Amino acid sequence: MDMIAALRADAAAVLADGRAKMVIGYRALGLRRRPVFITDGKMAELLVYDAACTQNLAAYLRKSELKRFRPMAIVARPAVIRSLVVLAAESQLKAEDVVVMAVGENEYHGIRDLAGATALLKEKYPKLAPPQATLALLEKLSSMTPEERAGFWRAEFAKCTRCYACRAACPGCYCTRCIVEKNVPQWVPAAADAHGNYAWNVIRAFHQAGRCTLCGACEAACPQGIPLMALNVRIAQDVAEEFGVQPGDDPAAKPVIGSWSADDKEDFIR
Amino acid sequence: MKLVDAKKLSDLAAALAAKGYRVAAPIQDGDVVRLKEWSPGAVIRTDAVPVNSAKDFLFPRSEIIGRYSIEGNDFTPVDVRPDSTRTVLLGVPPCDATALAVLDAVFNWDYKDEFYNARRAAVTVVTLACAAADDFCFCTSVGGRPDSTAGADAILRPADGARKFILEPLGEKGRALVAAAASALADGEAKADPPAEVPVRFDAKQVSAWLADNFESDLWTTLSMACLGCGACAYACPTCHCFDIQDEATRQESVRRRNWDSCGFGLFTAHAGGHNPRANQSARWRNRVMHKFSYIPERFKTLGCTGCGRCGRMCPAGMAIADICSEIMRAHEAVKK
Repeated sequence: MDMIAALRADAAAVLADGRAKMVIGYRALGLRRRPVFITDGKMAELLVYDAACTQNLAAYLRKSELKRFRPMAIVARPAVIRSLVVLAAESQLKAEDVVVMAVGENEYHGIRDLAGATALLKEKYPKLAPPQATLALLEKLSSMTPEERAGFWRAEFAKCTRCYACRAACPGCYCTRCIVEKNVPQWVPAAADAHGNYAWNVIRAFHQAGRCTLCGACEAACPQGIPLMALNVRIAQDVAEEFGVQPGDDPAAKPVIGSWSADDKEDFIR
Repeated sequence: MKLVDAKKLSDLAAALAAKGYRVAAPIQDGDVVRLKEWSPGAVIRTDAVPVNSAKDFLFPRSEIIGRYSIEGNDFTPVDVRPDSTRTVLLGVPPCDATALAVLDAVFNWDYKDEFYNARRAAVTVVTLACAAADDFCFCTSVGGRPDSTAGADAILRPADGARKFILEPLGEKGRALVAAAASALADGEAKADPPAEVPVRFDAKQVSAWLADNFESDLWTTLSMACLGCGACAYACPTCHCFDIQDEATRQESVRRRNWDSCGFGLFTAHAGGHNPRANQSARWRNRVMHKFSYIPERFKTLGCTGCGRCGRMCPAGMAIADICSEIMRAHEAVKK
């Protein structure tokens, strides 16, 4: 059975036998890939999966309208599985609320529970996978002087309209009130202008430190084509080097930016 | 006829710049086509809808509309002049020019917006008739056409198999522009190429009819489920015009800014007392569609959507308003049967 046929058959099956109340996957509408929310097995025929399916479906778990449809089956590529593991580690979802329909680039790995999906990551997708284009850009950036690098990002962030598509697309951004939505005081200037844009994009990247699974949904979502992944990959590299962990390996792991240990390095304090 | 070689649009831009116009055109900017200020060397694209719309130059994403200097407990207003730099929008798609009718109406409805009007008066709109359309375009479903002259002061028509453009003035501003561009134009004859084929995807009248009776429909929940509540569609849209006003202050000065806002954001209708009349994405999507296909037509006798397709191109969840309207039509048809 080919990948898509197997995916569709499994979607119908989990709904029929009650393992899930809803399947969240993608459907094709022309060139668009729109997330689809299936509760009727007959609609499983709509499911597709290809490289154009860039939106991270784990982001939908924060929608209150979907809470009554738990357990939910989610079509998840490795980075999305990692997102689910991070959400479980941060108490945003319970393992029994989610059924993973694991997809790779060209293969379908079948239905797993969260523990089984985590084991799949360890076996077949053990490392975070930064996009090649991002690594190439980081190579270019690392050969710049700090002034040149600042100039590069200034030019990129000048394009930002503060649409917050990056935030909306990200499963890690689930705050009911984002820092930019607070105005007592206004921590980050709301205007889509240089002074606030730098702050917004850097703050969002910092808030993903140790949590970002490099799914790329933010950069794919950005209507202005800002290379946001360069920030996320660079920070992920620092986290791997300084803390020796990567997000999504362990549903019980404490978050890097949300925890402290007496063994933490202190050699930078002089 | 006034003609310009298809490969020499930059000369036209340069001629206009030399006569004191600020020139904005669809420019290749990294991987995207962006409507932005032209400068020598910039590559003008004539075959793609830019990621942003003409509204950026009339209603910018952030605009200073007030200034106050502060001394102790006293503050003194400082004069803020609206920007009235003479500007030509060179080669905007017809759907952007058509959208100006909506912005003109909203910004002159119950209050005459001096900032919008100053920019509007200073702008000359030169549309570029579309010879090609993509999967996202749907101007013909909302009363438009790929070679429409609505809202334009002049139009560039591809001609002679895309080898030339005919520059046709459409009024006083257009004639002034043609005169200013004389050094870059040749006199001659050319045959305008056929406009793009844009298949009709839905009947806007039927959509408006369904909207009138289905405010409480469960369909809104289904239609809106994929929406993640960002502002990508509203900010890219040539007719969307909602804004938020905020004062940014230091101890010496306060600046009042008007910033874009989106009805898709969760806090858009949040009240100071805590109530939110549009508390979920379903209600917010319903508002978006009704604003464009119900409220604006009722009030201003024109549709609030011009079929540019940007919402579909930009949406991270692939939600194109054209798809939503098609789905509404199907629901409307199913009920009629």
